[in-house]
Amino acid sequence: MDLGVPREATSATAKERGSRLAVWKLLLLPWMLLVLAGAFLWAPQVQGLGDETYVMYLHIPMAWVGALAYFVAAYYAITYLARHRVESDIASSVSAEIGLLFTVLATVTGALWAKAQWGAYWNWDPKQTSIFLLLLTYGAYFMLRAAVEDEDRRATLSAAYALLAVVAVPFLMLIVPKFVAPSALHPAPVVERQMNAKVGWVLLAANVGFTGIYVWMLQLKIRLLTAARRRESIL
Amino acid sequence: MTGLVLVMSVSALIWVGLFLYLLRMESRVRELEKR
Repeated sequence: MDLGVPREATSATAKERGSRLAVWKLLLLPWMLLVLAGAFLWAPQVQGLGDETYVMYLHIPMAWVGALAYFVAAYYAITYLARHRVESDIASSVSAEIGLLFTVLATVTGALWAKAQWGAYWNWDPKQTSIFLLLLTYGAYFMLRAAVEDEDRRATLSAAYALLAVVAVPFLMLIVPKFVAPSALHPAPVVERQMNAKVGWVLLAANVGFTGIYVWMLQLKIRLLTAARRRESIL
Repeated sequence: MTGLVLVMSVSALIWVGLFLYLLRMESRVRELEKR
């Protein structure tokens, strides 16, 4: 898996890769505008959700990107522990950072949905409780990074933590709320039962678009930190 | 209907804004990498 961690920034392959990726980056805007048009003009509202259907097209892709980012962070944590390359540590922490951002956004959109559907922003529903625990887990990851000054030690400890934390992701995002304590309030069962094919397509397209945005953000931040680090070592 | 158009327009503007921001960051990072 190569999501843009620079190895030799000046090599021809890196330059070719940079220009090749520009095409999909340029396609992201029309793609997301199409998703928007599909959500509002093409796909019907989900029965029982009404206008809150539109929040779903943000909420689900945000939660998906959050989970994906945590798994990518764990992947780079493994590569760091195996090869001790600082680029892997940067990639792992940046992915966890973006994952936390998208988890916060998923929590906020979920709370807005909850207010419209259940009359309160927060109900300590199993899904809300488990996403809260996930936020705490990854909040602690950044506290750990901030607490250790030595670069190698910080990278090793946070890689080990990222590997432990990712085990909790499927439990907190899927297994606990769906199977252990099925949510009485969360509308997933309603959505799954009454999922129209058009709604499914728009949701899939939104997931693809959000994944593209995640990859772009990840690359940008990794390249920024790597370039800044290189400058620091030169100066 | 007016509300729907308004929400759609604001959403589209947010996407355009995010896209332009990412493009700007892209050119900044490239500049930094060249130095």
